[in-house]
Amino acid sequence: MPRGGEVGDELERAREAAAERRLVVAAVGGSSAAFEELYRRHAARVYGLCLRMTGHVATAEDCTQDAFVQAWRNLARFETRSAFGTWLHRIAVNAVLQHARRRQESLGAEDSAEREVADVLPDSSAADPGRARDLEAAIASLPAGARHVLVLVGVQGYSHEEAAQLLGIAVGTCKAQLHRARALLGARLGMTEVKHGVE
Amino acid sequence: MGSNEREAGAGDRLDAALQALPPGIDPGRDLWPGIAARLEQAPVTASRRPPAWLLQAAAAVVLIAGSSLLTAKLLDGDRAAGKMAEVAPIAGSTPGADGIATMPASFGPAGRMDPEYVAARRQLTSVLESRMARLPASTRAKLESNLAELRRAADEINAALAEQPGDPLLEELLLKTYQDELAVLANVNQLTSSLANAAASPGDAKRMEL
Repeated sequence: MPRGGEVGDELERAREAAAERRLVVAAVGGSSAAFEELYRRHAARVYGLCLRMTGHVATAEDCTQDAFVQAWRNLARFETRSAFGTWLHRIAVNAVLQHARRRQESLGAEDSAEREVADVLPDSSAADPGRARDLEAAIASLPAGARHVLVLVGVQGYSHEEAAQLLGIAVGTCKAQLHRARALLGARLGMTEVKHGVE
Repeated sequence: MGSNEREAGAGDRLDAALQALPPGIDPGRDLWPGIAARLEQAPVTASRRPPAWLLQAAAAVVLIAGSSLLTAKLLDGDRAAGKMAEVAPIAGSTPGADGIATMPASFGPAGRMDPEYVAARRQLTSVLESRMARLPASTRAKLESNLAELRRAADEINAALAEQPGDPLLEELLLKTYQDELAVLANVNQLTSSLANAAASPGDAKRMEL
């Protein structure tokens, strides 16, 4: 027997999905105003994903814009088995990977990204803003492969199978990258000692 | 505490810190103007979806299952409450061994849902809505407001389908919306069917709050 709270959550999810379907239908019909509303609803999550995956503000802005343009272009192919936000995230991850391939990001660019990410984080991002900033900066300083997996699995909550599919890597590689990312993060935050070979 | 335990504790703290990060970060500036400028050069491309007949076959299966499941829950709920629902037989329905009706459903030539399915849905919805009167006022108001959003969506998708009959994306969106509505109503039915017992134990009324 479901509890009222559970039904309420289900109802809220259904209402939200219905509201988004109305916007998708209008956008497919050519309404940029409806698509702007979809942007307003999802911009923060898409940008957050891009910023953490790239570690670079300007690149994250580019990828966010690319993702929404791609979504607009492919709206008629929207996969309705998932929520619009899930579909959009997949496009955003692709935008980040395409950008990385195009630019062949250099180590120097990543170094400057660390400072940039730490500077743009909101003060209220966690109960302990200082620690959250340290954590974000440490994430930004990770090697790209480890960072991508950590963001998708550790922050966004994707399974290894989902993350591996999104990133185009083997599940084993995904697990190894997460292990590496956690070890590096723990060491950089002073929580653990870095083990030989992880760096 | 051994080094393995210390590492495990640190790992747990790290995982907790990662999961506590907000999923979204507001961009420092509004990125929409840059997107809007590019939309004009990037029209929405045509759908590349399975042919309509394939989708219709899938839709029929999904809606038959959805309809019979809902009917089953409806009847189960009433048995639990000690009384049977008076659901009139629906023309064209196929009674199963347990008396549960299954409804064929598909999209018709005008891109509309099968009329028999629409009639069955209307009847089930009507029965369930009458039960909503048993819910506390605040719960009912919340439920009605949220269901109204689902029905607005269905109406707008139907209107779009009338203009673009057979559009696969619109048909999928309509199906999803009806499925969500039926799922919500089925859950509400389960809640309301326990209200008689809730009267005997007032603490259970709390369970009805959404």
